[in-house]
Amino acid sequence: MESFTTYAKEPPTDDDEAIARSLTGDLAAYEVLVTRYSALAHRTAAMLGAADEAEDVVQEAFVKAYRHLATFRQDAPFRPWLLRIVANETHDLTRSRGRRAELAVKLTESRLPETESPEDAAVAVDRRTRLLDVVRTLPEREREVVVCRYFLQLSEAETAQVLDLPAGTVKSRTFRGLKRLREEVGRDLA
Amino acid sequence: MTSPDDLEARLLALGESLDIPAPQPDEVAHAVRARLESLPAADRRPARRLGGLPRLPVRRAPRGSGWLRPATRRRGIVSVVAILVALLLGGTPVGRAAVTEVLRFAGIELEIGGPGPLPAGLPEPLPGEHRVTLEQAREQVAFPVSVPTALSDPRDVRVSDGGRVVSLFWPGLRLDEYDGMLLGVFRKELGTWPQEVALGTAQAWWIPARHGLSYLPRGGGEAPVRARPAAPTLIWQRGQVGLRLEGTGDLRRALEIARSAR
Repeated sequence: MESFTTYAKEPPTDDDEAIARSLTGDLAAYEVLVTRYSALAHRTAAMLGAADEAEDVVQEAFVKAYRHLATFRQDAPFRPWLLRIVANETHDLTRSRGRRAELAVKLTESRLPETESPEDAAVAVDRRTRLLDVVRTLPEREREVVVCRYFLQLSEAETAQVLDLPAGTVKSRTFRGLKRLREEVGRDLA
Repeated sequence: MTSPDDLEARLLALGESLDIPAPQPDEVAHAVRARLESLPAADRRPARRLGGLPRLPVRRAPRGSGWLRPATRRRGIVSVVAILVALLLGGTPVGRAAVTEVLRFAGIELEIGGPGPLPAGLPEPLPGEHRVTLEQAREQVAFPVSVPTALSDPRDVRVSDGGRVVSLFWPGLRLDEYDGMLLGVFRKELGTWPQEVALGTAQAWWIPARHGLSYLPRGGGEAPVRARPAAPTLIWQRGQVGLRLEGTGDLRRALEIARSAR
Protein backbone atom coordinates (compact mmCIF):
# COMPACT_ATOMS: atom_id res chain seq x y z
CA MET A 1 0.00 0.00 0.00
CA GLU A 2 2.09 2.86 -1.27
CA SER A 3 0.89 6.30 -0.38
CA PHE A 4 3.37 8.21 -2.50
CA THR A 5 4.56 7.45 -5.96
CA THR A 6 6.27 10.77 -6.49
CA TYR A 7 7.68 12.93 -3.78
CA ALA A 8 6.16 16.21 -2.81
CA LYS A 9 8.38 19.08 -3.83
CA GLU A 10 8.11 21.21 -0.73
CA PRO A 11 10.31 20.15 2.17
CA PRO A 12 8.30 18.73 5.08
CA THR A 13 7.54 21.29 7.74
CA ASP A 14 7.02 19.14 10.80
CA ASP A 15 8.46 15.89 12.16
CA ASP A 16 5.30 13.88 11.54
CA GLU A 17 5.23 14.76 7.88
CA ALA A 18 8.98 14.20 7.49
CA ILE A 19 8.65 10.78 9.12
CA ALA A 20 5.64 9.80 7.02
CA ARG A 21 7.51 10.75 3.86
CA SER A 22 10.72 9.07 5.00
CA LEU A 23 8.72 5.88 5.47
CA THR A 24 7.94 5.89 1.78
CA GLY A 25 11.65 5.97 1.04
CA ASP A 26 11.89 9.75 0.56
CA LEU A 27 15.50 10.38 1.55
CA ALA A 28 15.19 14.14 1.05
CA ALA A 29 12.49 14.20 3.73
CA TYR A 30 14.77 12.26 6.03
CA GLU A 31 17.59 14.73 5.38
CA VAL A 32 15.32 17.41 6.84
CA LEU A 33 15.06 15.42 10.07
CA VAL A 34 18.81 14.82 10.17
CA THR A 35 19.50 18.51 9.67
CA ARG A 36 17.01 19.45 12.37
CA TYR A 37 18.41 17.15 15.05
CA SER A 38 22.06 16.97 14.06
CA ALA A 39 23.38 19.52 16.57
CA LEU A 40 21.40 18.09 19.49
CA ALA A 41 22.51 14.57 18.56
CA HIS A 42 26.15 15.69 18.58
CA ARG A 43 25.73 17.38 21.95
CA THR A 44 24.16 14.23 23.35
CA ALA A 45 26.89 11.95 22.02
CA ALA A 46 29.69 14.22 23.24
CA MET A 47 28.17 14.74 26.67
CA LEU A 48 27.50 11.04 27.20
CA GLY A 49 31.09 10.13 26.39
CA ALA A 50 31.61 9.63 22.65
CA ALA A 51 34.49 12.15 22.72
CA ASP A 52 36.16 12.54 19.33
CA GLU A 53 34.01 9.77 17.88
CA ALA A 54 30.78 11.69 18.28
CA GLU A 55 30.49 12.21 14.52
CA ASP A 56 30.67 8.47 13.87
CA VAL A 57 28.15 7.79 16.59
CA VAL A 58 25.70 10.36 15.27
CA GLN A 59 25.83 9.13 11.69
CA GLU A 60 25.37 5.55 12.81
CA ALA A 61 22.42 6.59 14.98
CA PHE A 62 20.70 8.40 12.10
CA VAL A 63 21.19 5.44 9.78
CA LYS A 64 19.81 3.11 12.41
CA ALA A 65 16.88 5.40 13.16
CA TYR A 66 15.96 5.48 9.46
CA ARG A 67 16.05 1.74 9.18
CA HIS A 68 13.91 1.30 12.30
CA LEU A 69 11.51 4.08 11.46
CA ALA A 70 8.56 1.73 10.99
CA THR A 71 8.91 0.55 14.58
CA PHE A 72 8.66 4.12 15.83
CA ARG A 73 5.28 4.95 17.30
CA GLN A 74 4.14 7.80 15.18
CA ASP A 75 2.10 9.57 17.80
CA ALA A 76 5.23 9.75 19.97
CA PRO A 77 7.81 12.53 19.74
CA PHE A 78 10.77 11.80 17.48
CA ARG A 79 13.39 13.65 19.53
CA PRO A 80 13.73 11.37 22.59
CA TRP A 81 13.40 8.28 20.40
CA LEU A 82 16.32 9.46 18.28
CA LEU A 83 18.38 10.51 21.29
CA ARG A 84 17.84 7.11 22.86
CA ILE A 85 19.49 5.56 19.81
CA VAL A 86 22.33 8.09 20.09
CA ALA A 87 22.76 7.28 23.80
CA ASN A 88 22.75 3.58 23.04
CA GLU A 89 25.36 3.93 20.31
CA THR A 90 27.49 6.00 22.67
CA HIS A 91 27.23 3.38 25.40
CA ASP A 92 28.13 0.64 22.95
CA LEU A 93 31.17 2.62 21.91
CA THR A 94 32.50 3.41 25.36
CA ARG A 95 31.80 -0.13 26.50
CA SER A 96 33.56 -1.66 23.52
CA ARG A 97 36.54 0.59 24.16
CA GLY A 98 36.56 -0.48 27.78
CA ARG A 99 36.82 3.10 28.84
CA ARG A 100 34.95 5.31 31.22
CA ALA A 101 32.41 7.63 29.63
CA GLU A 102 33.77 11.15 30.07
CA LEU A 103 31.96 14.41 29.68
CA ALA A 104 33.84 15.43 26.55
CA VAL A 105 33.10 19.14 26.44
CA LYS A 106 34.79 22.41 27.14
CA LEU A 107 33.73 25.88 28.00
CA THR A 108 33.37 28.50 25.34
CA GLU A 109 33.86 32.12 26.23
CA SER A 110 31.68 33.49 23.50
CA ARG A 111 28.41 32.99 25.36
CA LEU A 112 29.24 34.36 28.74
CA PRO A 113 26.79 36.69 30.42
CA GLU A 114 27.38 40.36 29.82
CA THR A 115 29.23 41.74 32.78
CA GLU A 116 30.27 45.18 33.75
CA SER A 117 33.94 44.59 34.07
CA PRO A 118 36.66 42.22 32.88
CA GLU A 119 37.09 41.18 36.50
CA ASP A 120 33.45 40.09 36.74
CA ALA A 121 33.79 38.19 33.48
CA ALA A 122 36.85 36.39 34.79
CA VAL A 123 35.00 35.44 37.96
CA ALA A 124 32.07 34.14 35.92
CA VAL A 125 34.39 32.00 33.76
CA ASP A 126 36.09 30.69 36.85
CA ARG A 127 32.79 29.76 38.52
CA ARG A 128 31.62 27.91 35.42
CA THR A 129 34.88 26.08 35.02
CA ARG A 130 34.73 24.92 38.61
CA LEU A 131 31.10 23.80 38.32
CA LEU A 132 31.93 21.85 35.16
CA ASP A 133 34.83 20.17 36.97
CA VAL A 134 32.51 19.13 39.78
CA VAL A 135 29.93 17.75 37.32
CA ARG A 136 32.71 15.69 35.75
CA THR A 137 33.45 14.05 39.08
CA LEU A 138 29.86 12.88 39.65
CA PRO A 139 29.30 9.13 39.49
CA GLU A 140 28.34 8.19 35.94
CA ARG A 141 24.68 7.37 36.68
CA GLU A 142 24.13 10.74 38.33
CA ARG A 143 26.19 12.63 35.80
CA GLU A 144 24.12 11.22 32.93
CA VAL A 145 20.83 12.43 34.32
CA VAL A 146 22.28 15.84 35.23
CA VAL A 147 23.64 16.13 31.68
CA CYS A 148 20.28 15.21 30.15
CA ARG A 149 18.19 17.40 32.44
CA TYR A 150 20.34 20.55 32.47
CA PHE A 151 22.91 20.49 29.69
CA LEU A 152 20.57 19.00 27.08
CA GLN A 153 17.49 20.54 28.73
CA LEU A 154 15.40 17.39 28.39
CA SER A 155 12.30 16.82 30.49
CA GLU A 156 12.22 14.13 33.14
CA ALA A 157 10.15 11.88 30.87
CA GLU A 158 12.49 12.43 27.93
CA THR A 159 15.50 11.70 30.12
CA ALA A 160 13.89 8.44 31.24
CA GLN A 161 13.32 7.44 27.64
CA VAL A 162 16.76 8.47 26.43
CA LEU A 163 18.62 6.68 29.22
CA ASP A 164 16.19 3.75 29.26
CA LEU A 165 15.48 4.21 32.96
CA PRO A 166 12.26 4.19 34.97
CA ALA A 167 11.01 7.75 35.66
CA GLY A 168 11.45 7.28 39.41
CA THR A 169 15.10 6.46 38.92
CA VAL A 170 15.64 9.66 36.93
CA LYS A 171 14.04 11.62 39.74
CA SER A 172 16.15 10.03 42.46
CA ARG A 173 19.40 10.25 40.51
CA THR A 174 18.76 13.91 39.70
CA PHE A 175 18.12 14.56 43.36
CA ARG A 176 21.28 12.75 44.45
CA GLY A 177 23.34 14.43 41.74
CA LEU A 178 22.16 17.90 42.71
CA LYS A 179 22.74 17.17 46.37
CA ARG A 180 26.29 16.08 45.68
CA LEU A 181 26.92 19.11 43.46
CA ARG A 182 25.55 21.43 46.11
CA GLU A 183 27.88 19.95 48.69
CA GLU A 184 30.91 20.16 46.44
CA VAL A 185 30.15 23.62 45.09
CA GLY A 186 29.34 24.87 48.59
CA ARG A 187 32.69 23.62 49.84
CA ASP A 188 34.40 25.15 46.86
CA LEU A 189 33.02 28.60 47.58
CA ALA A 190 33.48 28.48 51.32
CA MET B 1 25.23 29.39 50.08
CA THR B 2 23.80 28.06 46.91
CA SER B 3 20.04 27.69 46.78
CA PRO B 4 18.54 24.83 44.75
CA ASP B 5 17.12 27.09 42.07
CA ASP B 6 20.38 28.90 41.82
CA LEU B 7 22.30 25.68 41.23
CA GLU B 8 19.82 24.51 38.59
CA ALA B 9 19.98 27.89 36.86
CA ARG B 10 23.77 27.77 36.92
CA LEU B 11 23.74 24.29 35.40
CA LEU B 12 21.44 25.43 32.61
CA ALA B 13 23.66 28.44 31.90
CA LEU B 14 26.75 26.26 32.00
CA GLY B 15 25.17 23.86 29.50
CA GLU B 16 24.56 26.74 27.13
CA SER B 17 28.13 27.90 27.35
CA LEU B 18 29.64 24.54 26.50
CA ASP B 19 31.47 24.36 23.24
CA ILE B 20 30.78 21.19 21.31
CA PRO B 21 32.37 20.92 17.94
CA ALA B 22 29.96 19.48 15.40
CA PRO B 23 29.93 19.43 11.62
CA GLN B 24 27.39 21.54 9.76
CA PRO B 25 23.94 19.89 9.95
CA ASP B 26 23.55 19.78 6.17
CA GLU B 27 26.89 18.00 5.86
CA VAL B 28 25.70 15.39 8.34
CA ALA B 29 22.46 15.02 6.36
CA HIS B 30 24.42 14.47 3.14
CA ALA B 31 26.71 11.92 4.78
CA VAL B 32 23.76 10.01 6.22
CA ARG B 33 21.98 10.09 2.89
CA ALA B 34 25.08 8.80 1.12
CA ARG B 35 25.32 5.95 3.60
CA LEU B 36 21.66 5.06 3.14
CA GLU B 37 22.02 5.16 -0.63
CA SER B 38 25.00 2.82 -0.47
CA LEU B 39 22.98 0.18 1.36
CA PRO B 40 21.80 -2.80 -0.67
CA ALA B 41 18.44 -1.97 -2.27
CA ALA B 42 16.57 -4.37 0.01
CA ASP B 43 17.83 -2.54 3.11
CA ARG B 44 17.38 0.97 1.82
CA ARG B 45 13.75 1.55 2.66
CA PRO B 46 12.75 1.82 6.26
CA ALA B 47 11.43 -1.42 7.65
CA ARG B 48 7.70 -1.74 7.24
CA ARG B 49 5.48 -3.58 9.63
CA LEU B 50 4.76 -7.01 8.29
CA GLY B 51 2.23 -8.76 10.47
CA GLY B 52 3.44 -6.61 13.35
CA LEU B 53 7.06 -7.46 12.72
CA PRO B 54 9.56 -4.96 11.46
CA ARG B 55 11.91 -6.14 8.81
CA LEU B 56 15.29 -7.22 9.95
CA PRO B 57 17.31 -4.73 11.91
CA VAL B 58 20.40 -6.56 10.77
CA ARG B 59 23.58 -5.00 9.62
CA ARG B 60 26.85 -6.68 9.12
CA ALA B 61 29.86 -4.86 10.39
CA PRO B 62 31.39 -2.54 7.81
CA ARG B 63 33.65 -4.26 5.35
CA GLY B 64 35.82 -1.38 4.41
CA SER B 65 33.56 0.76 2.29
CA GLY B 66 31.35 2.06 5.08
CA TRP B 67 31.96 5.40 6.66
CA LEU B 68 32.79 4.08 10.00
CA ARG B 69 36.54 3.75 9.95
CA PRO B 70 36.88 -0.03 9.83
CA ALA B 71 40.16 -0.09 11.72
CA THR B 72 38.65 1.82 14.63
CA ARG B 73 35.66 -0.46 14.70
CA ARG B 74 37.71 -3.62 14.63
CA ARG B 75 39.98 -2.44 17.40
CA GLY B 76 36.98 -1.82 19.59
CA ILE B 77 35.45 -5.20 19.04
CA VAL B 78 38.66 -7.06 19.65
CA SER B 79 39.15 -5.20 22.89
CA VAL B 80 35.74 -6.34 24.12
CA VAL B 81 36.68 -9.90 23.50
CA ALA B 82 40.02 -9.43 25.19
CA ILE B 83 38.32 -8.01 28.26
CA LEU B 84 35.89 -10.89 28.46
CA VAL B 85 38.61 -13.46 27.99
CA ALA B 86 40.83 -11.93 30.64
CA LEU B 87 37.92 -11.68 33.02
CA LEU B 88 36.70 -15.20 32.64
CA LEU B 89 39.69 -17.35 32.05
CA GLY B 90 42.35 -15.64 34.09
CA GLY B 91 45.74 -17.09 33.35
CA THR B 92 44.63 -19.80 30.98
CA PRO B 93 46.48 -19.39 27.70
CA VAL B 94 43.95 -18.50 25.09
CA GLY B 95 44.26 -17.74 21.43
CA ARG B 96 42.79 -14.31 20.93
CA ALA B 97 39.50 -14.65 19.15
CA ALA B 98 39.53 -12.51 16.05
CA VAL B 99 36.01 -11.17 15.81
CA THR B 100 35.33 -10.32 12.24
CA GLU B 101 31.65 -9.46 12.14
CA VAL B 102 28.86 -8.24 14.30
CA LEU B 103 25.24 -9.10 13.67
CA ARG B 104 22.63 -7.18 15.61
CA PHE B 105 19.19 -8.64 15.73
CA ALA B 106 16.30 -8.46 18.17
CA GLY B 107 18.31 -6.83 20.93
CA ILE B 108 21.11 -9.35 20.64
CA GLU B 109 24.57 -8.47 19.49
CA LEU B 110 26.28 -11.45 17.94
CA GLU B 111 30.02 -11.26 17.65
CA ILE B 112 31.16 -13.68 15.03
CA GLY B 113 34.78 -14.56 14.61
CA GLY B 114 37.35 -17.18 15.48
CA PRO B 115 35.71 -19.52 17.98
CA GLY B 116 36.22 -17.84 21.34
CA PRO B 117 36.75 -20.00 24.39
CA LEU B 118 33.56 -20.86 26.23
CA PRO B 119 33.20 -19.02 29.50
CA ALA B 120 33.50 -21.13 32.61
CA GLY B 121 31.85 -20.86 35.99
CA LEU B 122 28.35 -20.71 37.34
CA PRO B 123 25.79 -18.51 35.63
CA GLU B 124 25.10 -15.25 37.40
CA PRO B 125 21.53 -14.07 37.82
CA LEU B 126 20.43 -11.05 35.80
CA PRO B 127 20.31 -7.76 37.71
CA GLY B 128 17.38 -7.62 40.13
CA GLU B 129 16.19 -11.09 39.10
CA HIS B 130 13.25 -12.24 41.17
CA ARG B 131 10.70 -15.01 41.10
CA VAL B 132 7.11 -14.18 40.19
CA THR B 133 3.95 -15.81 38.90
CA LEU B 134 3.05 -15.42 35.26
CA GLU B 135 0.30 -12.97 36.23
CA GLN B 136 2.73 -10.88 38.27
CA ALA B 137 5.19 -10.91 35.38
CA ARG B 138 2.50 -9.52 33.08
CA GLU B 139 1.89 -6.71 35.54
CA GLN B 140 5.56 -5.90 36.02
CA VAL B 141 6.62 -5.54 32.42
CA ALA B 142 5.49 -3.08 29.78
CA PHE B 143 5.39 -5.54 26.87
CA PRO B 144 3.13 -8.51 26.13
CA VAL B 145 4.50 -11.76 27.56
CA SER B 146 4.15 -14.69 25.15
CA VAL B 147 3.76 -18.25 26.35
CA PRO B 148 4.23 -21.13 23.89
CA THR B 149 1.17 -23.34 23.73
CA ALA B 150 3.44 -26.20 22.65
CA LEU B 151 4.70 -26.35 26.22
CA SER B 152 2.95 -26.78 29.54
CA ASP B 153 2.81 -23.86 31.98
CA PRO B 154 6.32 -22.67 32.85
CA ARG B 155 7.74 -24.14 36.04
CA ASP B 156 9.38 -20.93 37.02
CA VAL B 157 8.99 -17.30 35.94
CA ARG B 158 11.44 -14.53 36.73
CA VAL B 159 11.49 -10.81 36.08
CA SER B 160 14.81 -8.92 35.97
CA ASP B 161 16.28 -5.48 35.59
CA GLY B 162 13.25 -3.41 36.51
CA GLY B 163 10.89 -5.30 34.20
CA ARG B 164 13.10 -5.32 31.14
CA VAL B 165 13.42 -9.09 30.92
CA VAL B 166 10.99 -11.93 31.63
CA SER B 167 12.43 -15.44 31.75
CA LEU B 168 10.24 -18.54 31.59
CA PHE B 169 11.71 -21.88 32.62
CA TRP B 170 10.83 -25.49 31.89
CA PRO B 171 13.15 -28.40 32.67
CA GLY B 172 16.12 -27.90 30.36
CA LEU B 173 14.46 -25.00 28.55
CA ARG B 174 14.63 -21.27 29.01
CA LEU B 175 12.72 -18.57 27.13
CA ASP B 176 13.87 -14.97 27.67
CA GLU B 177 11.62 -12.16 26.48
CA TYR B 178 12.84 -8.61 26.66
CA ASP B 179 11.90 -5.10 25.82
CA GLY B 180 13.57 -3.33 23.01
CA MET B 181 15.47 -4.18 19.92
CA LEU B 182 17.34 -0.97 19.43
CA LEU B 183 19.33 -1.39 22.56
CA GLY B 184 21.69 -4.28 22.94
CA VAL B 185 20.32 -6.53 25.66
CA PHE B 186 22.38 -9.66 25.31
CA ARG B 187 25.73 -10.22 23.70
CA LYS B 188 26.74 -13.56 22.24
CA GLU B 189 30.08 -14.67 20.92
CA LEU B 190 30.04 -17.18 18.15
CA GLY B 191 32.57 -19.03 16.07
CA THR B 192 30.47 -19.19 12.95
CA TRP B 193 27.69 -17.26 11.29
CA PRO B 194 24.32 -18.42 12.65
CA GLN B 195 21.68 -20.02 10.50
CA GLU B 196 18.93 -17.77 9.18
CA VAL B 197 15.55 -19.44 9.38
CA ALA B 198 12.00 -18.43 8.58
CA LEU B 199 9.43 -18.26 11.33
CA GLY B 200 6.16 -17.73 9.49
CA THR B 201 6.73 -14.50 7.59
CA ALA B 202 9.35 -13.38 10.07
CA GLN B 203 13.01 -14.00 10.26
CA ALA B 204 14.84 -15.80 13.02
CA TRP B 205 18.38 -16.90 13.72
CA TRP B 206 19.43 -20.29 14.96
CA ILE B 207 22.72 -20.60 16.80
CA PRO B 208 23.47 -24.29 16.64
CA ALA B 209 26.52 -24.44 18.92
CA ARG B 210 27.23 -23.60 22.54
CA HIS B 211 28.40 -20.04 22.92
CA GLY B 212 29.25 -17.31 25.42
CA LEU B 213 26.37 -15.05 26.46
CA SER B 214 26.54 -11.85 28.48
CA TYR B 215 23.84 -9.44 29.54
CA LEU B 216 24.11 -5.68 29.09
CA PRO B 217 22.23 -3.99 31.94
CA ARG B 218 19.66 -1.32 31.35
CA GLY B 219 20.98 2.22 31.22
CA GLY B 220 24.28 0.99 29.87
CA GLY B 221 26.44 2.50 32.58
CA GLU B 222 27.17 -0.70 34.38
CA ALA B 223 29.46 -3.54 33.43
CA PRO B 224 27.93 -6.44 31.51
CA VAL B 225 26.77 -9.38 33.59
CA ARG B 226 29.52 -11.84 32.98
CA ALA B 227 29.31 -14.32 30.20
CA ARG B 228 27.93 -17.79 30.75
CA PRO B 229 27.92 -20.70 28.36
CA ALA B 230 24.61 -20.86 26.52
CA ALA B 231 23.13 -23.89 24.80
CA PRO B 232 22.00 -23.70 21.15
CA THR B 233 19.48 -20.91 20.88
CA LEU B 234 16.78 -19.61 18.57
CA ILE B 235 16.33 -15.83 18.54
CA TRP B 236 13.47 -13.94 17.02
CA GLN B 237 11.30 -10.91 17.41
CA ARG B 238 7.61 -10.44 18.06
CA GLY B 239 6.48 -6.85 17.63
CA GLN B 240 9.06 -4.89 19.55
CA VAL B 241 9.85 -7.74 21.88
CA GLY B 242 13.00 -9.82 21.45
CA LEU B 243 12.90 -13.50 22.34
CA ARG B 244 15.57 -16.14 22.84
CA LEU B 245 14.77 -19.79 23.36
CA GLU B 246 17.57 -21.86 24.75
CA GLY B 247 17.88 -25.56 25.36
CA THR B 248 15.87 -27.48 22.76
CA GLY B 249 19.04 -28.77 21.12
CA ASP B 250 17.17 -29.13 17.85
CA LEU B 251 16.02 -26.46 15.43
CA ARG B 252 12.76 -28.16 14.45
CA ARG B 253 11.58 -28.37 18.03
CA ALA B 254 12.68 -24.79 18.67
CA LEU B 255 10.66 -23.52 15.69
CA GLU B 256 7.64 -25.52 16.76
CA ILE B 257 7.76 -23.93 20.19
CA ALA B 258 8.41 -20.46 18.79
CA ARG B 259 5.46 -20.73 16.39
CA SER B 260 3.16 -21.62 19.24
CA ALA B 261 4.10 -18.56 21.32
CA ARG B 262 0.92 -16.55 22.02
